[in-house]
Amino acid sequence: MTARHLMMAWLMLVGLSLGSTLLSLPVMDHAPAAALGLGVLLIAGFKARIILTRYLGLADAPFWRRGFDISLTLFCALLLGLYLAPLML
Amino acid sequence: MSDADVLEELPGDLMIWVLIVSELLVFGAGLVAFLAVRITDSTGFAEAQAVLNRTGAGINTVVLVTSGFLAAQAVLWRNALRRGAARIALIAAALLGIVFLIIKGAEFAHKSALGITWESHPFFTFYYLLTGFHAAHVVAGVVLLLLVAWRDTSRNIEAAAAFWHMVDLVWVLLFPVIYLLQ
Repeated sequence: MTARHLMMAWLMLVGLSLGSTLLSLPVMDHAPAAALGLGVLLIAGFKARIILTRYLGLADAPFWRRGFDISLTLFCALLLGLYLAPLML
Repeated sequence: MSDADVLEELPGDLMIWVLIVSELLVFGAGLVAFLAVRITDSTGFAEAQAVLNRTGAGINTVVLVTSGFLAAQAVLWRNALRRGAARIALIAAALLGIVFLIIKGAEFAHKSALGITWESHPFFTFYYLLTGFHAAHVVAGVVLLLLVAWRDTSRNIEAAAAFWHMVDLVWVLLFPVIYLLQ
């Protein structure tokens, strides 16, 4: 891990945090809820991955990174399913 | 790859990873329960969520990821034997943790002024439990960061930074589910 990697990770986290907040603004109300939910959860999953790989150092531990990637993807998919459930009932 | 190799690949102490996974499971279960209960009253949850200050929470996200960056930078600096710079980064990270708590406190005070308690609606029960429990972790993290700024061995700083990144990680999952998913 280098200082440059850390700086890039921080910039991406700040940008993605602003991006997910923008997705929830009233101007986005016309967009389909499913698309907004998917966007917000994708960004959340990506931010979590950046923290795991760059801040916590899993970039240098491919076995554990894969494990966390799979777990995180399944968890976000579960959250998305639960979020969309009221729209389908 | 043998079991020993796999464990050695893990950065930092094994026990801090046990703690990280345990905390993620607890908060993850809380978020799953939150969205599961929401299925029974999605309109009520949306109305309750509209009271929240998304901008404040968004600012708090930037505050926390910036604090995490400083903690990670402190590890790099300490390993490069730049002890002074590492200490300053740790203290700055702790101060940003305090900023997070001040914004969170203002948010709770605003809800209280509106007469909103954890009993007002199931949404607020989860809101207070999950964000309050997370804030308790922020308090613990701030104390840890200041402690390792004082007792600044590489191992201490790595452990405290890993705890702080866990607090960060929980928030980036909690923030969108509680504040943003409408």
